[in-house]
Amino acid sequence: MKNFKLKIGALLASSVLMVAVSCSDDFLNVAPTGLLAEGQLTSLAGLDASLIAAYSQINGRAQRMASPSNWVWGSIRGGDANKGTDPGDFNTINPIQRFEADATNVNALENWQGLYEGVARANNVLRLLAKKGDDVTDADVVRIAAQARFLRGHYYFQLKRNFDKVPYVDENVDYGAGLEDVVNNVDLWPMIEADFQYAVDNLPATQAQVGRVNVWAAKSYLGKVYLYQGKFAEAKTQFTDVIQNGVTSNGLKYDLVDNYGNLYRGAYDNNEESIWAYQAAAGTGSVNNANPEFDLNNPYNSAAPGVCCGFFAPSFSFVNSFRTNANGLPLIDGSFNAPGNQVKNDMGVESSSPFTPDSGNLDPRLDHSVGRRGVPYLDWQDHPGQSWIRQQSFSGPYSVKKYVYSSTEVGSFQDNSSWTPGYTGINYTIIRFADVLLMAAEAEIETGGLEKAREYVNRVRERAKNSVVMKLDGSGPAANYNVGLYTSPWTDADTARMAVRFERKLELGMEGHRFYDLVRWNIADQELNAYLDFEGAILINALGSSNYTDKHKWVPIPQNQIDLVGADKLIQNPGF
Amino acid sequence: MLPNLSMFMKNVYRILSVCLTLLVLSSGSAFAQKAVTGTVLDEFGVGLPGVSVLVKGTTTGSATDIDGKYSLNVPNDQATLVFSFIGYSAIEQVVGTRSIIDVTMTPDERTLTEMVVTGYSIDSRRETTGAIATVDAKDLAVIPTGNVEQALQGRVSGVTVITNGQPGTSSIIRVRGFGAFGGNTPLYIVDGVPVGTTDFLNPDDIESTTVLKDAAAASIYGARAASGVIIYTTKKGRRGDKKLRVDYNGMFGATNPGKGLDMMNPQDYATYTWLAETNAAAAEGRPANYGHPQFGTGSTPVMPYYINVGGQSGVAGPFSADQLAQEAAKYNVDYGKGPIYQVVRAATGEGTDWYDAITRVAPLHRHSLGINGGSETSRFFVGMGIQDQAGILLNNSLRRVSFRANSEFDITKRIRIGENFQATYRRSLGVSGGAGGQGVSRDENSILGAFRMPSIIPIYDEFGGYAGTAASGFNNPRNPVAERDAIKDNRSFNANLFGNFYLEADIIDNLTFRSSIGGRYDNNYFFNYSRRQYENLENNSAFGYGEGSGFNFAWTFTNTVAYKKTFEKHAFDLLAGIEALNTGAGRSINANGQNPFSQDPDFVTITNLPVATRQVNSSLGRGVNFSSLFGRLNYTYADKYIFSAVVRRDGSSRFGVNSRYGVFPAFSAAWRISSESFLQGATWIDDLKIRGGWGQMGNSNNVDPNNQYSLFGGDIGASSYDITGSNSGALIGFRRTRIGNPNAQWETAVTQNIGFDGTLFNGRLDVIFDLWRKDTKELLFEVPIPSTAGFNAAAPSVNIGQMLNQGADLLVTVRGNLTSDLTYELAVNGSLLKNEIVSLAPGLEFITSGNANPSFRGIEPIRNQVGYSLSSFFGYEVVGLFRDNEDVSNHATQDGAAPGRFKFRDLDNDGVITPEDRTILGSPIPDFTGGLNFTIGYKGFDLSAYVYTSIGNEIWNQSKWFTDFYSTFEGAAVSERLKNAWTPQNLNATIPIVEKAANFSTSNVGSSFYVEDGSYLRLQNVTLGYTLPAPLLQKWRLERLRVFASANNLLTFTKYEGLDPAVGGDADLTFGIDVGNYPVTKGYTFGLNLSF
Repeated sequence: MKNFKLKIGALLASSVLMVAVSCSDDFLNVAPTGLLAEGQLTSLAGLDASLIAAYSQINGRAQRMASPSNWVWGSIRGGDANKGTDPGDFNTINPIQRFEADATNVNALENWQGLYEGVARANNVLRLLAKKGDDVTDADVVRIAAQARFLRGHYYFQLKRNFDKVPYVDENVDYGAGLEDVVNNVDLWPMIEADFQYAVDNLPATQAQVGRVNVWAAKSYLGKVYLYQGKFAEAKTQFTDVIQNGVTSNGLKYDLVDNYGNLYRGAYDNNEESIWAYQAAAGTGSVNNANPEFDLNNPYNSAAPGVCCGFFAPSFSFVNSFRTNANGLPLIDGSFNAPGNQVKNDMGVESSSPFTPDSGNLDPRLDHSVGRRGVPYLDWQDHPGQSWIRQQSFSGPYSVKKYVYSSTEVGSFQDNSSWTPGYTGINYTIIRFADVLLMAAEAEIETGGLEKAREYVNRVRERAKNSVVMKLDGSGPAANYNVGLYTSPWTDADTARMAVRFERKLELGMEGHRFYDLVRWNIADQELNAYLDFEGAILINALGSSNYTDKHKWVPIPQNQIDLVGADKLIQNPGF
Repeated sequence: MLPNLSMFMKNVYRILSVCLTLLVLSSGSAFAQKAVTGTVLDEFGVGLPGVSVLVKGTTTGSATDIDGKYSLNVPNDQATLVFSFIGYSAIEQVVGTRSIIDVTMTPDERTLTEMVVTGYSIDSRRETTGAIATVDAKDLAVIPTGNVEQALQGRVSGVTVITNGQPGTSSIIRVRGFGAFGGNTPLYIVDGVPVGTTDFLNPDDIESTTVLKDAAAASIYGARAASGVIIYTTKKGRRGDKKLRVDYNGMFGATNPGKGLDMMNPQDYATYTWLAETNAAAAEGRPANYGHPQFGTGSTPVMPYYINVGGQSGVAGPFSADQLAQEAAKYNVDYGKGPIYQVVRAATGEGTDWYDAITRVAPLHRHSLGINGGSETSRFFVGMGIQDQAGILLNNSLRRVSFRANSEFDITKRIRIGENFQATYRRSLGVSGGAGGQGVSRDENSILGAFRMPSIIPIYDEFGGYAGTAASGFNNPRNPVAERDAIKDNRSFNANLFGNFYLEADIIDNLTFRSSIGGRYDNNYFFNYSRRQYENLENNSAFGYGEGSGFNFAWTFTNTVAYKKTFEKHAFDLLAGIEALNTGAGRSINANGQNPFSQDPDFVTITNLPVATRQVNSSLGRGVNFSSLFGRLNYTYADKYIFSAVVRRDGSSRFGVNSRYGVFPAFSAAWRISSESFLQGATWIDDLKIRGGWGQMGNSNNVDPNNQYSLFGGDIGASSYDITGSNSGALIGFRRTRIGNPNAQWETAVTQNIGFDGTLFNGRLDVIFDLWRKDTKELLFEVPIPSTAGFNAAAPSVNIGQMLNQGADLLVTVRGNLTSDLTYELAVNGSLLKNEIVSLAPGLEFITSGNANPSFRGIEPIRNQVGYSLSSFFGYEVVGLFRDNEDVSNHATQDGAAPGRFKFRDLDNDGVITPEDRTILGSPIPDFTGGLNFTIGYKGFDLSAYVYTSIGNEIWNQSKWFTDFYSTFEGAAVSERLKNAWTPQNLNATIPIVEKAANFSTSNVGSSFYVEDGSYLRLQNVTLGYTLPAPLLQKWRLERLRVFASANNLLTFTKYEGLDPAVGGDADLTFGIDVGNYPVTKGYTFGLNLSF
């Protein structure tokens, strides 16, 4: 028995010992799986992979409202389009287009989050550079830092245009290390300029990979930043250089694409006009690489391309703007909305009832920008009107057209791996050469170069003239297109200014610029209230009795972000 | 109920009883007149030591020796001897002329349940000082649920159970409130092994269920006990059973879906479509411009015969036979054969009842076979079970097949080994909702879909295809029947092995060493298809296929030493242990893609999907390691004063080196006041014990295992870029995914509990009452990081914030017999609960971060705010509807204000309705939950009823957003309630005006319009059973044969307007939101219990 007890004692002792060993501190160290620690990213490969992530955020990823297309913030607020679809769908956009949004609007938060994620990724690259590994040369540092700072400049530029003063967070602050204490009481322009200046100073003219920004993209962007500040001379310097000497990252001399419509075709990605584009791709394993912010922005019908959902419906005013006079010139005096000049539409006409489209003079860019009844919708079919519109009384009769995929792009520039086929792998162009030409024209006008401005505008119009939309059977133009150049010299700056501004609306419509331009030109109040009065009388449920007040030139800073750090540190924009 | 336990613990009690009896007797004085001797045998004919033998009405007595023999002197022949022993029914014998009195004692089932399994030990209810509740095993088996924990609803006070009607779902189980911002699921222990879920258990295999509620009871589980501990043990054989005992339990039945919500019929739908235009025109001061693709443009709507003829709407009919033949020739629903062409006839009369269309009377059956037996040195139990339960929703079902084998052997007189083993196959299909089905109520699922589809749309077109919103004018709901049919071939299953081996050695007398190693291995596999649709306005545009698998292994190694010893009046019970465990390590892989060459299920594999569409992902995890030491001391003085101290030290890999250990002590005491001399006269008190305890428990469930690390991750969706401009591929980059906090440590829940246990009137009345308070401090909380740091980086949990839960638990049981044939038992339990967020991070008044603030169609109904309960409802308070323009102009400025729309209260009286006017509108946490269980038995018949009630909780009925506004997805179905909508003639309406606008004053913001009283009382079960009489059974050589019939959820009393008030959700920060709740509905079951 004693022997037995000993055995048991030994068993007990060994058990306890076994547990004791397994319970040492080592046992309680469980390393994370499937993820990396900071130290693993300081190699050259790690730094470049971190930079890829900073590029990746350009389109906002899942944050639809943080995409560079600015389809809500720039185009809808600018009057190019209304929300479309019906009152209930994605109804948090309703107060934005009516200029009634308050600080709790979720879309403002999404924009804020998506853009600051981009800032954070750029800052992350810069922070990692400071801890660079042995295989990273000084040249690598400059090359990577220049791209990261370009991207950070871009994210802050977007934030600046929406929210005005936002907390400036760079690589020197971080969570728990000063980030929460940054107060948004400083002007961001100097920092944005500094980032782009660094990019200008350090980026090469061409890149081995076309998706990487080059010095010319940086100069273009820097010029744009100057223009927003009214630094016209500085802007002009940059733009002139770009126009004369600029090449794309893949080495193409900057020029306009022959046909305006090809700007929105995947096969023409990274063309000579593409100064900086988001590189979209289909079939990658995630629709987030395929313009996820546009999945809802297609005509509405299961027989229509994209199937869903009728968002981003071009406005009457926008369509009417493409009316040209006998000389092929736009009605820059604003008379395009006058009864005699309005473009004929199919409001209230069922698809089964006959309809003859407008027969007056039109700029063909209309039919590259807007889907309208009776005109070919890309290469699909003639737009059938009401049956492709979700609720005409709310959204109006028009469909979005730019960046919607054509039938030849199905399966190649279109990703069908999610619930809807409306994901496209067509690059979204953030800055294109026509934009630079028109910005340069503005800078010229403000610095006295009226004729140079006219030359730039005519260059853009010349291309428009050559961009006729043909009937599907090829039998002739789809409408009565008539585009002319400004043939008489510009002598009056005011008229020249009106012409350039109007040209921007036509050339860059539905591309997210309009609202920012109106604010920049200080004419948002008159232009937008005229627009809302006109459209609100037709689309009563969507826009009726809404009006623009100047406080809405800035988006309210998201309330929940203020709640996090305090109203003294994150100061709300006036009036909210 | 626990005969095996009586065996298991017999030695312990024998020894204890001897001591106790001797203690009691030591004070008694005896004067002898007659000697009586005898032997007390147990049910197996073996001498039972330690039985107390008392002369009734005196303190004279004795106790049996180790062989069960006793002797004592009695005053006279009229004396009555009372034989009593814990776990056995007391026996009374009049001495008469006898001098030798032998008795055989039989186990008392009721008393035996008073022994409670408390995880590392088995204690007598008499001796416990903590808050402990048990559930009768037969109560778990009576309701045909898939998860045994659902059956706790209304059975245990202090336990909140919120469940839905979906087979295969898991439920929200909360013991004593919601202690933290997440991870409040109690710790489940099965046969001593911790598990994350109990869905694999067959209710018929369960022997005991114990809920440890306060620290005194639970903190032996230390760092994982803060949310309470629920302990299950499974059946074991009976030692010494000479013959095999076979139990068969079977039930079959069906669940009836009942009626859906009242939606408008086709004619009313058309009429209200016109009314919306009438109202819109009146508001805008213009002539009405009627029109709808189906109903024409006249001043009254014209009902169409066909709603879709090859894309044409509003077509008159019927077609002639010839026309129909022409249409049939054009008909096509196969994209491969060209454009879709359908012919769809409008439903007439009451139209399509879509709820009826997606539901069915759902059959269920369950069969369990249990075989148990044993020898003097062994015992075993083998259980086999199968449960097949269909959901009321098409293609939703649960199947569970389980095999269990438990056994124990005596190697020597002092060494035992044993094992518990279970293999389970579990297949739950068509389950929707996050968190294992809990979240179904907040999903836009087929159930909501049934209330979005206008009744004018039929289920099928004229030639057998699905009908849907491809017929224009009805907005975009999807045919829910097609949706449910589409998942018919989808499969997923889980196979797991669970069990443990243990060794027990009585090293020396009173000292037992136990070692157990247990684990759980899980394996799952799934494949699913998504069809390319044609019938809807917004169709799924591809045929999809996905397939995947994973495995996971968790283990626990526990060693304990228990020592029990009594010195005169001092009884000691010590336990010390050491434990190491891993919560589960494993890997998983899944793949999916689109558009294989053929959609034949026999063809479709990942291999046969086009390469370009394939996506493959995999993951691995190592689980969390815990290393723990624990000990407990129980001390009892004179059976009157009981003191208990528990301490556990846990280390966890969840936390960084500096803070990974936590120590959790608890102290409790009890005073058996009924043993005091001043209560000796109160013969109506059998036992009365006052308890009190204080202790700490920990929680870390709510913390990501990677919390201590700052990490970077790559993801094709989140951080990739086509830097080469290929248009067809993207390079993966790395961005920060987590900001680490190496200093996080345990949440600590401090509990205080005062209560009493009383048994009165000769066992006729049991009362258990507890008052409790649980303060959770240093709450781990992901303090939201300003998005300026990048929102992709998960915020670390930091120890900040405080939560308070307090309440009262009461259990009253009354039992007895009215006549010798008529027995009754009534058990009522009730729990009061108050939950409050006491503090968050400094300066933070409410939580704004992502998952605490979900958005439903732009409405954010939840606010977790200091001073209120978790998941409180938040929004504008509706004062009423604006009566007229004057009312609008007299009210504070409100965007979109117009007659018939919501008038929001201007809380801050600043004359403008702004976000500042939002307020807390209710809470989904019930103030009171309770149950009532009533059983009567008459001869062979037994009748039981079981009622559950939940009082004081609100529900956010988000489904009204879809059904009660004409303008949300205009054209979709609308509720019959719109008939009571505001009109200039119906100014006191609560339903807003039928109109086309959607804005701030109608459906665009959250308001009290959605908040409803969610209180309800439900008759959950009524069972009538009949047990065949013994003579008949003996003739058939059966031990027991009982047949029964049950009705489930027969009656529900509620004011809630949604489908069902049992609305759960993804606890803990967000629940109680009803978008598409899966209702609990009536069902009927019949069954058989057979033993031989």
